[in-house]
Amino acid sequence: MEKRFVTIWFPHLKTDWISIRRPALARQPFVLTVSDHGKIIISEANIAAQKSGIEKGMALADGKALIPSLKYLNDKKNPSGKLLTSIATYCIRFSPVVAVNHPDVLILDATGCAHLWGGETSYLQMIINRFKKMGYEVKAAMADTIGAAWAVCHFEESKMIIPNNDQKNAILQLPVAALRINEEKVELLNKLGLRQINDIITMPRKALRRRFGEQLIERIDQALGVEEEFIQPVQITPDYEERLPCLEPIITLTGIEIALTRLLETICSRLKKEDKGLRSAMFTCYRVDDKIEKIEIGTNRASNNVDHLFKLFELKLQTIEPALGIELFTIEAFKVEELPAIQEKFWEDNIGINDIKFSELMDRIAGKIGEANIHRYLPDEHYWPERSIRLASSINEKNTLPWKTEKPRPIELLNTPEHIEVTAPVPDYPPMIFRYKNKIHKIKKADGPERIEQEWWIQEGEHRDYYSVEDEDGCRYWIFRLGHYTGDKRNQWFLHGFFA
Amino acid sequence: MNYTELQVTTNFSFLDGASHPEELVLQAALYDYSAVAITDKNSFAGIVRGHVAAKANGIRIIPACCLDLINGASLLAYPTSKKAYTKISALLTLGNLRAEKGKCNLYKEDVYNHSEGSKFIVVPPPSLNKSFAFEPSFEKQLNEYKSVFKNDLYIAASRRYNGDDHKYLFRLNQLSQALNIPLVATNDVHYHIPERRQLQDILTCVREKCTIQTAGFRLHPNAERHMKSSEEMLRLFTHYPDAINRTAEIAHACQFSLNELKYEYPEELTTEGRTPLEELTHLAWEGAIEIFGEDLPEQIITAINHELQFIEEMNYANYFLTVNDIVRFARKQNILCQGRGSAANSTVCFCLGITSVNPTKFDLLFERFISSARNEPPDIDVDFEHERREEVIQYVYEKYGRDRAAIVATVTQERQKGALRDVGKAMGLSVDTLSRLSSSVWDFNDELFKGSDLRKQGLNPDDKILKKVLKLTQELMGFPRQLGQHTGGFVITQGKLSDLCPVMNARMENRTCIEWNKDDIDALGFLKIDVLALGMLTCIRKAFDLAKKHYNLNLTLANIPQDDMAVYDMICRADTIGVFQIESRAQQSMLPRLQPRCFYDLVIEVAIVRPGPIQGDMVHPYLKRRNGERVEYPSKELEEILERTLGVPLFQEQAMKIAIVAAGFTPAEADELRRSMATFKVQGLVTHFEKKLIGGMVKNGYEEDYARRVFKQLEGFGSYGFPESHAASFALLVYVSSWIKCYYPDVFACAILNSMPMGFYQPAQIVIDAKKHDVELRPVDINYSLWDNLLEEKSNKYFALRLGFRQVKGLREEDIKILISARTSMFTSINELSDAGLSKATLEKLADADAFRSIGLDRRNALWEVSASADKAIGVFKGQKNAEENISLPEMSKSEHVVHDYTTTSLSLKAHPVSFIREKLEQLHIVATNQLQTIKEGALIKVAGLVLVRQRPGTAKGVCFITIEDETGVANLVVFAGLFDKYSKEILQSRLLMVEGKLQREGQVIHVIVHRCYNLSSLLKQLTSSKKEELPLLTLARADEKSTPVPSYPGFNKKANAESKTQIEIFHKGRNFK
Repeated sequence: MEKRFVTIWFPHLKTDWISIRRPALARQPFVLTVSDHGKIIISEANIAAQKSGIEKGMALADGKALIPSLKYLNDKKNPSGKLLTSIATYCIRFSPVVAVNHPDVLILDATGCAHLWGGETSYLQMIINRFKKMGYEVKAAMADTIGAAWAVCHFEESKMIIPNNDQKNAILQLPVAALRINEEKVELLNKLGLRQINDIITMPRKALRRRFGEQLIERIDQALGVEEEFIQPVQITPDYEERLPCLEPIITLTGIEIALTRLLETICSRLKKEDKGLRSAMFTCYRVDDKIEKIEIGTNRASNNVDHLFKLFELKLQTIEPALGIELFTIEAFKVEELPAIQEKFWEDNIGINDIKFSELMDRIAGKIGEANIHRYLPDEHYWPERSIRLASSINEKNTLPWKTEKPRPIELLNTPEHIEVTAPVPDYPPMIFRYKNKIHKIKKADGPERIEQEWWIQEGEHRDYYSVEDEDGCRYWIFRLGHYTGDKRNQWFLHGFFA
Repeated sequence: MNYTELQVTTNFSFLDGASHPEELVLQAALYDYSAVAITDKNSFAGIVRGHVAAKANGIRIIPACCLDLINGASLLAYPTSKKAYTKISALLTLGNLRAEKGKCNLYKEDVYNHSEGSKFIVVPPPSLNKSFAFEPSFEKQLNEYKSVFKNDLYIAASRRYNGDDHKYLFRLNQLSQALNIPLVATNDVHYHIPERRQLQDILTCVREKCTIQTAGFRLHPNAERHMKSSEEMLRLFTHYPDAINRTAEIAHACQFSLNELKYEYPEELTTEGRTPLEELTHLAWEGAIEIFGEDLPEQIITAINHELQFIEEMNYANYFLTVNDIVRFARKQNILCQGRGSAANSTVCFCLGITSVNPTKFDLLFERFISSARNEPPDIDVDFEHERREEVIQYVYEKYGRDRAAIVATVTQERQKGALRDVGKAMGLSVDTLSRLSSSVWDFNDELFKGSDLRKQGLNPDDKILKKVLKLTQELMGFPRQLGQHTGGFVITQGKLSDLCPVMNARMENRTCIEWNKDDIDALGFLKIDVLALGMLTCIRKAFDLAKKHYNLNLTLANIPQDDMAVYDMICRADTIGVFQIESRAQQSMLPRLQPRCFYDLVIEVAIVRPGPIQGDMVHPYLKRRNGERVEYPSKELEEILERTLGVPLFQEQAMKIAIVAAGFTPAEADELRRSMATFKVQGLVTHFEKKLIGGMVKNGYEEDYARRVFKQLEGFGSYGFPESHAASFALLVYVSSWIKCYYPDVFACAILNSMPMGFYQPAQIVIDAKKHDVELRPVDINYSLWDNLLEEKSNKYFALRLGFRQVKGLREEDIKILISARTSMFTSINELSDAGLSKATLEKLADADAFRSIGLDRRNALWEVSASADKAIGVFKGQKNAEENISLPEMSKSEHVVHDYTTTSLSLKAHPVSFIREKLEQLHIVATNQLQTIKEGALIKVAGLVLVRQRPGTAKGVCFITIEDETGVANLVVFAGLFDKYSKEILQSRLLMVEGKLQREGQVIHVIVHRCYNLSSLLKQLTSSKKEELPLLTLARADEKSTPVPSYPGFNKKANAESKTQIEIFHKGRNFK
């Protein structure tokens, strides 16, 4: 069978992508920028911007001179690569063999595909419409060769389908750039007055090869179909997803539990094989009436323990409404982390937070009383005592900062310092007595002051002079005076913590 | 009990200290300290400023520094005598020179070798270890220091409010007693007031490259490192009163003052055992006789005697001899130079050959330049050819040695934008917010804090963070950020330079500089010589060489015939493209109005088109008076100052004199006024002076409006101060370059092209201008051209100018050397060139430049040949022609050739690009620029051309001046501010700009006042593509004549577009000038 290829060109790949995500931007001119030797250069402009004469390669400053309100976004290093690949994956529905041609072209081997959609014209139209609906502007063309399809798609406005064996006629009038050769070659050919493919195709091969190298000849031959061209199809990256279709719709809890167990078993055995564990997963039930029921769980540390995961789901299984029945169950692990299999040692138990049992317990408690009620604190880089600790985000978050130990800090720090009454006669000295909760404490020993200023970028106000004091009972307190010693005017004193 | 602060870090410890030395000294004075030390990290850079500020506030500073050592605890070093200071300075020099720029590598052993006569305070670790003691290693260190420094060693004790201060001091005291090293109280001052802590935190962030949110423990927990009053320090050290007493002891011992530094000029410049003055006298008379002949004019004799007497009085003989020595070296090396500056235009300098401005042309009194009252050293800057200045610099280093000669530093300051960026970044603002902020902030004024500009940019002026950023930025502005090297200011000494000031490496190789800048050395009375670079001198020297070679003329700056009316006629016609200084658009339009007729007119011309006079509204009054309006002087005393400029202050000296005479400033104040304008506008000094000047003048009976104008002008002088003495030296170069252009346009054009880049115009305009003056121009050719442009045989009155390979973009001089050395006879084929070793890339560039015409190939055919050159016959077949079928390429049209000429050389000798579209332009009723001459004033016209220059000077209230060029000449356009906003797109984007507007004529000057603008650049596209169909296509058949599809919506067919797009870009975008 004759080969047929489709090329799809996305002239505004990145800007379209952004417009889709930020519809507010779509109608106004915006550009993407990169910085090049300290200059900010426009790397892509959307259609609205191009209409005002803004072009790729222009300095942002020039662009802003044209449109003072020009919006600009930082061009990420290489999202087009990922983006294009993901679009290619989507295209697998049109043809099993899809290849990316960076930066903005997809190549489909459409041999034998078009008839499924009612012929080549409607096939191409369907593809274009799909993308248009998504918000991508595309140009597509179909021909016997990739080269011809590429050329036509970039340089012909109206032609889309090149009949069998007509590729030569189709490309003769096109500029030499349509041959997919590098810019220097195009420039050289143009300088020589050779602007169209027509101008060179009839030249003696030898003369061409001497001057422009093998690549030009190869490109001509590939476009004409004299030489075959190979493409590298994209592969779908394996996701952590398992499916379980059911012959009969499931309506009982037991049925759902069985399905869940089966799915967990398959996914966990796969995770185990790869030394991985999941941190979050979604159990999805597709009902016969097209509705979808979902439950989601998360764990404190990666797990591939079927029992444990089942227990987590179990707490929520009640919420599933099977209605007329469920025909498909899937389980998807969104977040998967490395979980090397641990050598089991029967003479030693893991202790503390590294113990799996501990974190499994935590998961269960959290499932019951709510995660918000369990806290773990880590040190934070602030002098201001209230901010010197922070809540840990998870049980196994590593402590990157060592606890600061060179200065005395109370075991128990009050959330809000509590007002105390004192007698303090001398500046830079601790009070002699203070009254806290109606009890008088006579200070016997003290150390300080430690002066801590406000972190002015967060909050303004007076500094605190902290003292560690010990009363006659041998209890130690952390107290402070707000601001400088004022003598006659009474200073405000606070108690902020208890030492052991 | 007297406390003296002995540990003060200023902002000359870059990104560490957060107050200016001046602020710290002032604060110390407010606290009634009699002295304060300045101890920057391994540097003396801030001490002069501190010294000057201390003098003004009636206290003294102790010049000192903090030695951060690689292998030991930091030491504060306090020289007690000049000798000790010299040693510490030598120590810092040693550390500087062994490290790269900005670093100083010192070891404790170095300190031991330079410690004599200095007191040292060792800085202990900031906290105790876990067992509440100092590390044993520190104790060991102390023992070692003690054994070296003996009784000159102390330990610093500071209260940090760390919570354990008492324990800490107790331990320190124990240590001090055990080792018999006394405690000294210091406060480790980093800023003058506690409020500066915020800025210090910001500096820490900049230094650590983090934001304030992430800086964490890199910041300090409190603001205690500010300067404190004696009483407070006494209270803090109640338990250790001796520590306080010892500060007084050290302060008392350190009586060394920077005043003691005596600057001495090098003395080896005399011959035959004469004293410097005798030598200078001898040389001056010798030179005078050489210039004026044995029969010296009376005027000269009086002038020389008078000046010599003055020089003797001020003891400046050595200075003049030093300058003379450098100038003499340059002349021996045939490097052109010209002195300028206050003392340069003296008769003595003229006799020595330092300047070529004849003092008889210019009856200025010497003292007008050097005022003995101000006691300011004379100022002579010497300009050298820019390509050869380095030779002069290296001569100075070599002659005096690196230990005696060095370049002055410049203190790079935080400017508005930089400060904003630093603060903004440290405060964690996004790049986007920052750029919006910096684009809305033009000037820090009240307006800004009202916030209307900010709101326009979508920023909330009430935002707390934003407010803080602006406030801190304002504080940071003016902070020194690093020491750079001055453009060419040298300090040369008799003794070792490092005796006076630490020397350091500059970033450039083979350069060393000192840590002080020109204000610092001014303050200490050091003399400096500026060795500067000037492009025009290179050009003039090249012109002299060409004139010698082709016209057999021995020209020098001094022997060019003066007062030549033909030259002034040319200047009055504004026929000054390429001439020094008066070639700009603004200058050109001034010339016909000013009608310069003598040398002094040129001096005025040079000075008048400057921000100073323009901002001060001095230009029009001057022109009116010149054209016959009666001159009135505000007062008798001002008549004396302003007589020569018809009552209008044009020069910096005049404005300063006015401040002295009319507003009652002392000369020193006037100088401070000038400087405050030049350096920084933030420090509130400006308003102070403004009040003082205007108030003073009004009190003395001047009109307030006049006073205000004088002040405005002073403000303008701030950044571009233009003194009469400089204008005079420049005027000479103006005259010399005009003279060459007038009589030898061939030589002039060739010299300018060979000195590019310089001046205001592109090579294309120089070439067009040369053509206009009947010079024949010949294209670049492999058989005739050299690297430089050259003059060939006479074609008419003048020699023909052959363009050189330097005009071709992308060619390298080394490749051309190969080509020229292989050119023993005429080349006949491309293979010969390739055999000579020229790369394919080079040959392609030559082909692109159409340089193969002499072997019968145009650029396209040459390129066809070149593109095959890599595949050539070798071995026994070498030299054989490649057997290849004859292939005919499409022929290139003339317009296409012109486009390619522009691509490769930015100019074309074949035709002007606009000439090809003239027909189309005529259809649009667009007139050629040369027709403007004949159109009457006020007519509405359309005119189009390539954009040469766009200018929006800050002084012109948003008006944009554009110069466009077509094949017949240039036209000057004026776009008013409102229209500029409307047509900014056209104005900024067009290569070919068409405007509609009204013709305005002022004397000979024609402007078009623009009403509408159109971008016609697309017409240029057609120069290469649309004509294609009409061209003969010799052998290649074309199926049909359908041309490349034209895109119907933007973005489509980008690649097809790309080709024609680049063709527009070939034409110079036009230069933008502020």
